Amino acid sequence: MMQTLGLRLANNRKFLPLGATVALFAIAFLAGTIFFPGMRDGQSFFNLFITTPFLLILVVGEGLVIISGGIDLSVSGVLALTTVASAALLRDGWDPWVVIGLMLGMGVLFGAVMGLFIAYLRVQPFIATLAGMWLARGLCYIISDSEIRIYNPLYRTLSGTRILIPGLADPVTKKGDYVTILVVVALVVLAVGMYIAHFTKFGRTIYAMGGNNGLNEQSARLMGLRVDRTKVQVYMLSGFCSALAGIAYSIYVGSGHGTHATGMELTTIAAVVIGGMALTGGEGYLLGGLFGVLITALIQSLIQFNGQLSSWWTSIVIGALMLVFIGVQSLLATMNARQLAAGRLGSPGARSATAGPRRSLLRDRRVLIGAAAVVVILVVAQVVGAQNPSGASGGAAACTLKPFRQDHAAELIKGGAVIAYERNGGSGCVDELYAIYPDGRIVGDNGAQTVKKQALPADVDALLGSINDLGWFTDNMYSTTEIQCGQCFTYYTAVSYKGVLKTVKAVDGGTAAPANYWLMTGRLSTILPAFGAGAQ
Amino acid sequence: MSTLRSVIRVGGVRDSRLMVPIVALAAILLIDLIVVPGFFNLEMKDGHLYGSLVDILRNSAPTVVLAIGMTLVIATGGVDLSVGAIMAIAASVACILIDPRIIGLNLQGNITAVVGDPTYSFAPIPVVIVASLVVAVACGLWNGVLVSFGRIQPMVATLILMIAGRGIAQLITNSIKIIIFNDAFAYIGNGFIILPFSLFIVVALFAGAWLLTRRTAIGLFVESVGISFRASLYAGINEKRIKLFAYSFCGFCAGVAGLIAVSSIRTSDANQIGLYTELDAILAVVIGGTLLGTGGRFSLLGSVLGGLVIQATQTSMYAIGVAASAITAVKAVMVIIVIILYSRQVQDLGGRLVARLGRKQAAT
Repeated sequence: MMQTLGLRLANNRKFLPLGATVALFAIAFLAGTIFFPGMRDGQSFFNLFITTPFLLILVVGEGLVIISGGIDLSVSGVLALTTVASAALLRDGWDPWVVIGLMLGMGVLFGAVMGLFIAYLRVQPFIATLAGMWLARGLCYIISDSEIRIYNPLYRTLSGTRILIPGLADPVTKKGDYVTILVVVALVVLAVGMYIAHFTKFGRTIYAMGGNNGLNEQSARLMGLRVDRTKVQVYMLSGFCSALAGIAYSIYVGSGHGTHATGMELTTIAAVVIGGMALTGGEGYLLGGLFGVLITALIQSLIQFNGQLSSWWTSIVIGALMLVFIGVQSLLATMNARQLAAGRLGSPGARSATAGPRRSLLRDRRVLIGAAAVVVILVVAQVVGAQNPSGASGGAAACTLKPFRQDHAAELIKGGAVIAYERNGGSGCVDELYAIYPDGRIVGDNGAQTVKKQALPADVDALLGSINDLGWFTDNMYSTTEIQCGQCFTYYTAVSYKGVLKTVKAVDGGTAAPANYWLMTGRLSTILPAFGAGAQ
Repeated sequence: MSTLRSVIRVGGVRDSRLMVPIVALAAILLIDLIVVPGFFNLEMKDGHLYGSLVDILRNSAPTVVLAIGMTLVIATGGVDLSVGAIMAIAASVACILIDPRIIGLNLQGNITAVVGDPTYSFAPIPVVIVASLVVAVACGLWNGVLVSFGRIQPMVATLILMIAGRGIAQLITNSIKIIIFNDAFAYIGNGFIILPFSLFIVVALFAGAWLLTRRTAIGLFVESVGISFRASLYAGINEKRIKLFAYSFCGFCAGVAGLIAVSSIRTSDANQIGLYTELDAILAVVIGGTLLGTGGRFSLLGSVLGGLVIQATQTSMYAIGVAASAITAVKAVMVIIVIILYSRQVQDLGGRLVARLGRKQAAT
């Protein structure tokens, strides 16, 4: 019994990358919950979904393209174009459902044109979709140079509605773990994608086309499959997914701009690879893409919880993971090829004749995977080691948060400040309170030291305007301090604008804060002076 | 027609592959001649030559340098997506060697005094340049090892460094934008010897690459590896070493491009330097007539012209008044035109036309 199971698994190496992805996610998540108590909250798991629905939708489209042996670089461009075009149309008072329909049609059209170029003019997918990406990004700026906010009530409802998780939330008080509508949409898209890939003729053609350096495409053609038509269709599907992801993105951030999702095509391709799909095509499962997305989100979340590491560690870790997955896949490919050769040639003599060079290739790859493993271990060591660089801040242990200086902040506002912004915790266990005045004066105080900066009054005006645009005075900006994480920052922000005062508290790192809160802190931090001797 | 033929012969290319970039460049300049008054004006100021044409040459330097390296990689049947990231890494290395204060190194003396000092550099400038180029070559070597020894698809192998590289560059500079006050270093991208100094770097690099590939057997080996690595292997060519060389050289070129870029903007910005330049470089090579994906015969001169075409389009669009942010749409249109020009159907048509012209000439 065990033997047959083992044999099955050994012969079904195609499940190995998928299994590795799932296992990696499980291990990383478990490790996260052990190291960071804040992650033990169930919501931090669901936040991995909440922050990435658009990425998952992109991965479904990109995954199918990659399985078919192509590549689609235009996904992020079409996404950005969708956000800008839909924001512009909504601003002009179009019906949101019409806008959504138009956008999906535009995505399909984009994909169709690229697909036609690839299938019938025999253009490299890389070049054709590169042109698509540039065209889409360029069109964004032709529509609008600046960011367009979306105030449509339907979009607001779609972004604000929480779907409570049965069993983990209290339906009466509406508190507990939840996901958003976008997450459900993304999961439905994934399910449909999996159905297409595994249960339709179209899906089987996609698998038949990909892989083996284009030779499989030839055999698919010889088998009488309609390769060219399928190619166009698969790019149309990817265009559809990009547009849908664009709608999800514009709902998520509540605006449209040409810089949205810059470089997301790389994240998408990385998630596809980490999800166990071979970039050479023909292999892998869309389900793996889900775990690829979750792993990228988890890496980001872990780095946030760690607090010592800057966000760019995310890209380094993702690169290292890709190296490992690509290494494993190419090793599997070599082993399969060897098995195939051994089976075909049969006689021991013939076998030993081919075994020489193949074995050396195998050894090469083993050395490479060894090297890759060392790189990953070094990176992980850095991630774990960086938790406690000097011991000064008490390492991974949470710092005892000082209570917000709410009275002080209130005084500052009374004294004429328009923004009072307090930032507590973080890796350095700081407690910084800033006051921004309408005349451009900025005063920061961290208990031991004060810093001053003179900004332009116009900058302060612009900042206030943009905070207002982010929906500060609407119900979409609500306080969230339920989850405390080890080294996260907690924020207390009071904004007084046109005679209205509103205060919102939040914690970063896997919390339920509204997405726009991070846009707000990002905008604030660009004009705030820094503390510390290094900056002076 | 005869002058064109001689140009083609200088490039060492027998067929008309240089036609596309030359015609494209001529068309763009012709549009400028008609639409933009004074586009071709050149003036001398303080011994420097100024004008839109000089701008095109100067701004195209990083792209052209990248395209030269990329040509060899594409000729081996590969592609290098990581050149933009390598540019950022090289630029970051150069910047911390000039000004290591930002990573918190304790230097003796009054640190604030060196801010704005045009002669201050922590390491001597030659050391800075050599060190960043060595790092860039190491990055290229890494790609080469993955592609040749790991047998990983080039697009996939270089994608790893493309994604991780920018993170590494930010790791080096601690994600801080370093302003470069040193005048000697800034000369690389801003200096003038009548013409911009970066132009001389490009010419030197092109001459070096041309001599290396056309006056030694390396060029032939590169082409043979691109056409069929198996056949090259059986012919006794060490194809792994050839690929290693191509990717390392591409890394070197990316390093040079990174130095030019960082020196001309005088700020190390790990996020922005070289962003999306890999796409420009690949496009330049494709315009220049080297086939992406299949490899084989390549044309360095074609790639250089391709880089100039891209920059000329960009500069012309600015001159015409197209918004800077919308330029990507123009580039996309350019790609589409190139795609159509190089597609087999159109080329067949062109071939027939050329043949008919030839017959007419022979008849007269």
